Amino acid sequence: MLTVESLRAWGANVDEGLGRCLNNETFYLTLVKKAIQDPSFEKLNAACGAGDLDQGFDAAHALKGVMANLALTPILNPVIKITELLRARTVTDYGPLLTEITSARDQVLALAE
Amino acid sequence: MTDRKRMHSIPDLEAKGRKRLVLIVEDDFVNREILKINMQQEYEIICAETGCEAREKIHAHSDTLSLILLDLNLPDLNGLDLLRELKQDMDLSKIPVIVLTADTESEVESLTSGASDFIPKPYPRQEIIMARARRCIELSENRDLIRWTERDHLTGLFNRDYFDRYAEQYDHYHRNDPTDALVLDISHFRMMNERFGKAYCDEVLRRIGAELFTFVKENGGIACRWEADTFQIYCPHREDYPALAARVAAAASGPDEGRVHIRIGVNPNVDKSGDMERRFDRAKSAADMIRSSLTESVAYYNDDLRQKELDAGQLLDDFRGALAEEQFLVYYQPKYNIQGPKPVLCGAEALVRWKHPERGMVSPGTFIPLFEHNGLIRELDNYVWRKAALQIRRWKDQLGCSVPVSVNVSRIDMLDPDLTETLCGLIKDNRLDFSDLHLEITESAYTEDSKQIKDIVAGLRNQGFKIEMDDFGSGYSSLNMIITLPIDLLKLDMGFIRSAFSESGDTGMLKIMMDIAHHLSVPMIAEGVETKEQMLTLKDLGCDIVQGYYFSKPVPAEEFEEFMRQEEK
Repeated sequence: MLTVESLRAWGANVDEGLGRCLNNETFYLTLVKKAIQDPSFEKLNAACGAGDLDQGFDAAHALKGVMANLALTPILNPVIKITELLRARTVTDYGPLLTEITSARDQVLALAE
Repeated sequence: MTDRKRMHSIPDLEAKGRKRLVLIVEDDFVNREILKINMQQEYEIICAETGCEAREKIHAHSDTLSLILLDLNLPDLNGLDLLRELKQDMDLSKIPVIVLTADTESEVESLTSGASDFIPKPYPRQEIIMARARRCIELSENRDLIRWTERDHLTGLFNRDYFDRYAEQYDHYHRNDPTDALVLDISHFRMMNERFGKAYCDEVLRRIGAELFTFVKENGGIACRWEADTFQIYCPHREDYPALAARVAAAASGPDEGRVHIRIGVNPNVDKSGDMERRFDRAKSAADMIRSSLTESVAYYNDDLRQKELDAGQLLDDFRGALAEEQFLVYYQPKYNIQGPKPVLCGAEALVRWKHPERGMVSPGTFIPLFEHNGLIRELDNYVWRKAALQIRRWKDQLGCSVPVSVNVSRIDMLDPDLTETLCGLIKDNRLDFSDLHLEITESAYTEDSKQIKDIVAGLRNQGFKIEMDDFGSGYSSLNMIITLPIDLLKLDMGFIRSAFSESGDTGMLKIMMDIAHHLSVPMIAEGVETKEQMLTLKDLGCDIVQGYYFSKPVPAEEFEEFMRQEEK
């Protein structure tokens, strides 16, 4: 079950994220559920898979803002890394970072089920 | 959105206890909701998820919007482009914008593009967001208050009180840059007002204001609405002012292409040691050179004009001495009734000449507009009336006869509360009949303040004076107005004679004017008649009285006596 405690245990900086939501736990958890459904995850995977670094950057950049605001650190950290690589249009293997992001997201999805 | 509307919204909000309106432009649901929950206690929030939606909402709420929070990464357009678009718009540019960004590089670009501030992502504490929002709104509202006092409310440009101050400030930062002073106005604006009404003309002025705002925004400098249809611009030196005149005229005309004609007087590369007022006086002098031209749109202040101004200043200085020393001479030009088999002397017009001790005879075309401009014409007119009345008396005493003499009464004379008393006094003191002195009042005087002038003229006419409407046909009077005016004679504007007897030889307009006179049952006088052919044509058309070089130029009183003697024979 998705709770503040479960998120904290997972590694989110819950106090910081909750602070931005005026310490309204219900509101914070609603936003977290919404955030992990963000279509930008799929867009990022698809763009990187197709080698479209411009689209990839846009999706990563959008995710970075949301994950940072909710302080979902285990997702945020790899998203920051991939955003900077894509900003520089670095041609590299994005697979490991994408896996890290997907895995962290899946963990929250599992909590939310 | 006008300043007026915007300024009224501030006290209104407080009075009604309503919250200020904030627009959040953010495509991401989570980010949007976080901002909303942080701000909604203090502000009324509306949201837009795309640039297009934002644009629509900004226009729809432009009167009441206190702040825009703008994300830079929007799905349909770049937030910076939207920001720049807002800042280019004279009205929307007043709404403060805070940019939401996760990139340090974007912060600088946002601020240089016109953002008031930025909020980084991830968002800081609520207190920081609120403090930044409050500060932006407060600064914007303070700026609105200042703008309210320093702006012309119709056009949004500076008003005259603040323009000079900003022009001086401009100089302070552009000390060595060549700078031009411009005076811009609309040709025949008064006529436009008469024809199309105030609301239409206000819209024209608004369009000019918007075009000048864009011009100074693109090219630097400042602009103001000085008064009525007069605008002033102080800007970096350039050469292509005809293009500016064309551009402003096109904007001002809007869908009525070609309706508005713009004049610009340019004082190029101003002398910055002189005071600001003088710089624009010179630009105004240049603009006045093309006052009646519909083909020229730009005139430059130059050395010739400067010399003319110096000469004019000298004449003004000499005026009082000239009056005291009686340097002004009254000449008389005969008027002939041409309706009989032989022309018969039927009157004279008193015309002033200046015999200057150093300059010789100064043309009335030089000094009369000058004295009309600064009000000295009143003293000069009084002088001429006095001299003419004395002369009529003298002729009556010496020759046992006289003819009616018409004198000019300027618009400024009409404002003299003692006018009737002065003129009646002349009649009484010189033991004249009222019919001895005709009063020539120019048509344009009637159109400027027709009710007041009409009453004054009617009063004079009731006393017994004969009233001649001078320059008939030049003042855009409506026929309806002419019918109601208290007049005894119409004196045709010289322009009709010139044009009828020019190469075109079209006397159609002359005929129309004669018909009007006949319809009103008042005699028509034509002046500026130079040839027998002209005189005969006018006679055929039904003109009653003729004045001009064909019979005689204006002559001194002694020479005029010859005409009277001839008539006696």
